[in-house]
Amino acid sequence: MSNVPSHADLLKRPGNRIGFGTITTFVIAGLFFVSLYAIGFTPERMLEVPSGVARVLSFFWPADMAYGWDRVLPAIVESIQIAWIGTIIAAILSLPLALFGARTLFPRLARGVKLISATARAFPEILLAIYFVPIVGLGAFAGALAIGISSVGMLTKLGAEVVDSLDFGTVEAVEAAGGSRIQALRWAVLPAVLPEIIAHWLFRFELNIRASAVLGVVGAGGVGGVLLNTLRYRHFDKAAAVLILTILVVLAIDTISGEIRRKIIRG
Amino acid sequence: MNIPARPPRNWMLLAGVTGLLVAMTVWSAYGIGFSLTEILCNIAGGTRLITESWPPDFGFLPRLAEPMLETVFIAIIGTVVGGILAIPVAVLAARNITPNRLTWFADRNFMNILRTLPDLFWAMLFATAVGFGPVAGALALTVFTVAVISKLWSESLESIDMGLPETIRAVGGTWFQMIQFGAIPQALQHYVSYALYAFELNIRASVVLGLVSAGGIGMILETQRANFEYERVTMIILAVLVAVLIIEEISESIRKRLT
Repeated sequence: MSNVPSHADLLKRPGNRIGFGTITTFVIAGLFFVSLYAIGFTPERMLEVPSGVARVLSFFWPADMAYGWDRVLPAIVESIQIAWIGTIIAAILSLPLALFGARTLFPRLARGVKLISATARAFPEILLAIYFVPIVGLGAFAGALAIGISSVGMLTKLGAEVVDSLDFGTVEAVEAAGGSRIQALRWAVLPAVLPEIIAHWLFRFELNIRASAVLGVVGAGGVGGVLLNTLRYRHFDKAAAVLILTILVVLAIDTISGEIRRKIIRG
Repeated sequence: MNIPARPPRNWMLLAGVTGLLVAMTVWSAYGIGFSLTEILCNIAGGTRLITESWPPDFGFLPRLAEPMLETVFIAIIGTVVGGILAIPVAVLAARNITPNRLTWFADRNFMNILRTLPDLFWAMLFATAVGFGPVAGALALTVFTVAVISKLWSESLESIDMGLPETIRAVGGTWFQMIQFGAIPQALQHYVSYALYAFELNIRASVVLGLVSAGGIGMILETQRANFEYERVTMIILAVLVAVLIIEEISESIRKRLT
């Protein structure tokens, strides 16, 4: 009878040994507590957080919606315009780069293009804006350039992956029929990859809306500067208007853009 | 030779879409003051800036170590707390395992609203609520992490095989046991890779948190920028770039080993 597991044995979980998972958990927990200690996040401060948040939230109501329509909405529109121009710039620059970055089409060029796109991706757009603001002056244009340049990296990478995953039957067919490499790109590659690439552009537009919203912090236009100022001068009712309108507009754009993306992908 | 006729094009639709895109672009370009003359006028200032910001001030490097570490600490706290809080949010937002439609609906909307606000907005809000400094940054990244992980992971949870969870329910397991033993183990690998991805995003985000006084290396960046010490700004940005690339490399290699 001894080798038949008892009911209690069956309830035990298999493999209760100190393994990889346990060690990882302890390492992460250790790092976590070291970090808490290092930035001075003591238990007393943790207890203060809920009351601090509640106090600020209580100042938020009622939101100053008159300010919202007069000042915040134009700033949000500016953020949308920044995101749009940035996305257009990135789309125009990234389309040829995506084709040249495809390993299957241009094996030698691809490596260089991948390097460029990885570097472009490592820069947060707000750091680029810090450079563009003195170059082209304070305002939305600097923001649009920053968004455009920093989006090129991601769009090139995603676009190149789309091209890489393409079935090359049609390309070979065009070349076998006497077409040049360029003609193969135009008639075999482009029509096949464009829907997915356009969907990526739209997705990047959604991300860029959020990115352009914060650019105002460094003086590059849009709604971020308005929020920073209202909070700095403790106009919490006005800050609430900024938050409400931002949430509503971003939700609306996400929904519309997501719907279009689904339509494009389905064809 | 019979060549099949080209399929007819929907010219109306094509013209409409093109017109809309062009109109949107012109309107936006006008709205943000896109002008080549402005670039040309400012080109002198631009070249001055570029000459000023090069070479980077390497003497400044030792002073960056401490804020850089603070940036990493903020990202660790944000990822750990946010990663834990994201678990229930993701489970309730997965249509196949959520207890009922009401929690699903409420949680899904909560998740979408969290996602609409950019990380720096949360940082500004927490800096106002709990005071300037890294604590505000860590809280902002916590919220941001919940938004990122719960969205991605709820989609993985929705695509799990429902056989095991249904079996657990059928033999009398509670909802919690079903989640714990039936649902989460199936999507655990995705969770780990999303958590690492969130950590990468957090490192990037914590670099700029200091611009709104929420701690990290961005605080130094902001003061040097305000004083037009562009040689130091370049140094900071280079250091950030190297740190981000190193951390991404590490996280990438961990992710490869896990999958």
